[in-house]
Amino acid sequence: MTEARTLDVSHLRPWEISSQAPLWWGQLFIDFIEGTMFSILIASYFYVRLRVDVWPPPGDQFPHTLLPSLALIPLILSAAGSYWASEAAKKNSRAGMIGGLLLNLVLAGAALAMRLIEWHSINFNWKADALGSYTWAFLGLHTFDYIADLVFTIVLFVIIVSGRYGEKERLGVHVDSVVWYFIVGIWIPIYIVVYWCPYIVETAQ
Amino acid sequence: MKPAQDVLPNVPTCEQDIADLERVWRHPRGIGGWLSYTTHQAIGMRYIVTAFVFLLAGGIEALLMRTQLALPNNTFLGPDRYNEIFTTHGTTMMFLFAVPMMEGFGIYLVPLMLGTRNVAFPRLNAFGYWMYLAGALFLYWGVFTNAAPDMGWFAYTPLSGPQFTPGKRADYWAQMITFTEVSAMCVAAELIATIFKQRAPRMSLNRIPLYVWAMLIQSFMVLFAMPAVMIASSFILSDRTVATHFVNPAEGGDPLLYQHVFWFFGHPEVYIIFIPALGFVSAIVSAHTRREVFGYTAMVLSQIANGFIAFGLWVHHMFATGLPQIGEAYFTASSLMIAITSGVQIFCWIATLWTGRPRFTTALHFVYGFIAIFVLGGMTGVMLASVPLDLQVHDTFFVVAHFHYVLIGGAVFPLMGAFYHWFPKMTGRLMDEFIGKLNFWVLFIGFNLTFFPMHILGLKGMPRRIYTYPPEAGWGPLNHLATIGAFILAIGGAIFLANVFWSRKYGRIAGNNPWDADSLEWAAASPPANYNFEYLPAATSRSPLWVPPEDRTFVTGLRNDRREVLVTTLMDAEPHHRYVLPPPSIWPFLTAVAVTIGFAGSVFNAWYVTWGSILTGICLIGWFWPRRPLELEP
Repeated sequence: MTEARTLDVSHLRPWEISSQAPLWWGQLFIDFIEGTMFSILIASYFYVRLRVDVWPPPGDQFPHTLLPSLALIPLILSAAGSYWASEAAKKNSRAGMIGGLLLNLVLAGAALAMRLIEWHSINFNWKADALGSYTWAFLGLHTFDYIADLVFTIVLFVIIVSGRYGEKERLGVHVDSVVWYFIVGIWIPIYIVVYWCPYIVETAQ
Repeated sequence: MKPAQDVLPNVPTCEQDIADLERVWRHPRGIGGWLSYTTHQAIGMRYIVTAFVFLLAGGIEALLMRTQLALPNNTFLGPDRYNEIFTTHGTTMMFLFAVPMMEGFGIYLVPLMLGTRNVAFPRLNAFGYWMYLAGALFLYWGVFTNAAPDMGWFAYTPLSGPQFTPGKRADYWAQMITFTEVSAMCVAAELIATIFKQRAPRMSLNRIPLYVWAMLIQSFMVLFAMPAVMIASSFILSDRTVATHFVNPAEGGDPLLYQHVFWFFGHPEVYIIFIPALGFVSAIVSAHTRREVFGYTAMVLSQIANGFIAFGLWVHHMFATGLPQIGEAYFTASSLMIAITSGVQIFCWIATLWTGRPRFTTALHFVYGFIAIFVLGGMTGVMLASVPLDLQVHDTFFVVAHFHYVLIGGAVFPLMGAFYHWFPKMTGRLMDEFIGKLNFWVLFIGFNLTFFPMHILGLKGMPRRIYTYPPEAGWGPLNHLATIGAFILAIGGAIFLANVFWSRKYGRIAGNNPWDADSLEWAAASPPANYNFEYLPAATSRSPLWVPPEDRTFVTGLRNDRREVLVTTLMDAEPHHRYVLPPPSIWPFLTAVAVTIGFAGSVFNAWYVTWGSILTGICLIGWFWPRRPLELEP
């Protein structure tokens, strides 16, 4: 028997901050799950919507669209902060990560504040009727994700500022940007459904 | 059968390497250590053992039902108790046995078959198991406190709503769903990432073992199907606990919507259970006929097609709800379509058996049993896809017979074969073949005796979910026969357990590769070391162990002083970088406890969602907090 052939991998580096990292893929699949969840909720909304003539149901105001539309501006720009931070993570630039994460946090915080202010103008809650249940399910679930990722971005920010970080945490910054792109991206259809569908969708005849 | 052989005869083993690996991959000690295990073999085995316990529980529930139905006007169980038992039986078998059992085998086998050391996210893997266990205990806590769900395993509204199911029965059911689905989704995400990125070098897509393909397809189906049932169960739960109106028609909700969302999950669920079983069949057929499975590409493509089509036929569960005719026609066609892709697979296995050199082992017996029973179940499936016939037998025992033929034939028989096939890998000892064949025949006869009469009972008009029937109906003799069959089936189960316990102690020593099989798990020791392989193998062919030893290739240069694995590229599996897996950790367990407080508490008081979220957040920060060394040495 001859000597087994070997494949030496010692020259490969023991970490990777890109879409080649398993963690990046894992996060992508978690986004698939959440995206499916929101898609089913949107489909359910239309199922219910198209079976009634009067929408919004009696007593429910039409949504205010100005503030949520304005809030899109800081929200979408906050993704640029995430991108900046994730590129800086690849290059191991601490200043870039701090700047990017800070931009992300400030803009995302502003968009969240606008969202919470806007909630006061909604004159029904989830107990009112089906529209109330769906509206608050969309807002509640998305805001839950939103706040959860803000908290983790704050934790990452603190870790990076403290300087007590390595490749794993840099990969964390990179993958955190994937989470944020998803949260921003999925908000667009939810925003349209919650704030515009009561105006533009008519009952099927 | 060839004698057990060492399949790595020509790799220079280095004592120091092995000592390092043993030390780095050792399980932590004590109870805290036991709660911190993250190796895939340990977690996979926990899933398998726990799921088996729930198989026994579901089996006992089935026997109780069959005892009640053995005679007309029987009073062994009252109507309420009977409702609880058939609901708990269905729920247990689907959510606490079938899916977790398949996940458990996947967690155990996939990293071995891919030639790696662990799944991509070992701590998520541990977390998923604890979520499953918590959900299972939560449901059975209800069962033992006289609050078992009693509205069917599908919990249709409005029956499961606050008006018709007061108390906590439906809430326990709905929240158990959330627990087990979180678990299944964790497993799905980590298995796909592992299959995509941790394959043995050169295991390109067209060299992935068919079982791994099956788990990949199943995992993708979990990603897209399980969110639907979480939405469905959340509709019920929030309507019941915080007075929303998702399925309440009085306030604009829609009870039929619940059925759509539930079956958008429920139909793929069947495939989530039996596609891994098709993978078992491929692995067993190839090893026990000593040839590669005929039509690899056709096999993979038809399983992928199965996965897609499964999402397009949920409405055939709802033909009796008065749908538009065009919808019925569409879903009839799509339901018939699944017979094509399933037929391709059956054809490939039969062709393999025909042209191979089959050894009539117990595992292969179960494959033959699978083909016979599953094809029969498929036939009745094609019948049920037709709307007029479906309307006639809807909610009768004909449907009960159909899905037990599909699920027991399609999933449990291959699963039994899988136990006989991989038991030597998991324990180091072979199961007894004589008892095994006895086991097979008792199960096969018991199964057919139990479920075949149900076809006739259904055609004679016996409805499902009735706790008793009058003697004039004429259903007595066949029911009696089915009950006798059920007890024979139970004896078959007892023989299996006896064989497991006997073989674990006295079975023949297996060696690494007792079946002379071709996939990489047989290159590891039996049972495998925590690190699986001293040197990670490369896949030089689709059947890497049927390549002559002198032509095999092994990976060197991974560090053995930390839990390091090799990451390869998605398509061609070229080595890309090394990846350090985390050490064992208590955080997954603590996080599962925090989530459990939130989930379980929210059934009683919605504020627990908030407290649970805060606790979970704290645990997750602990989980992800930087650990030393911060910078990895190359």
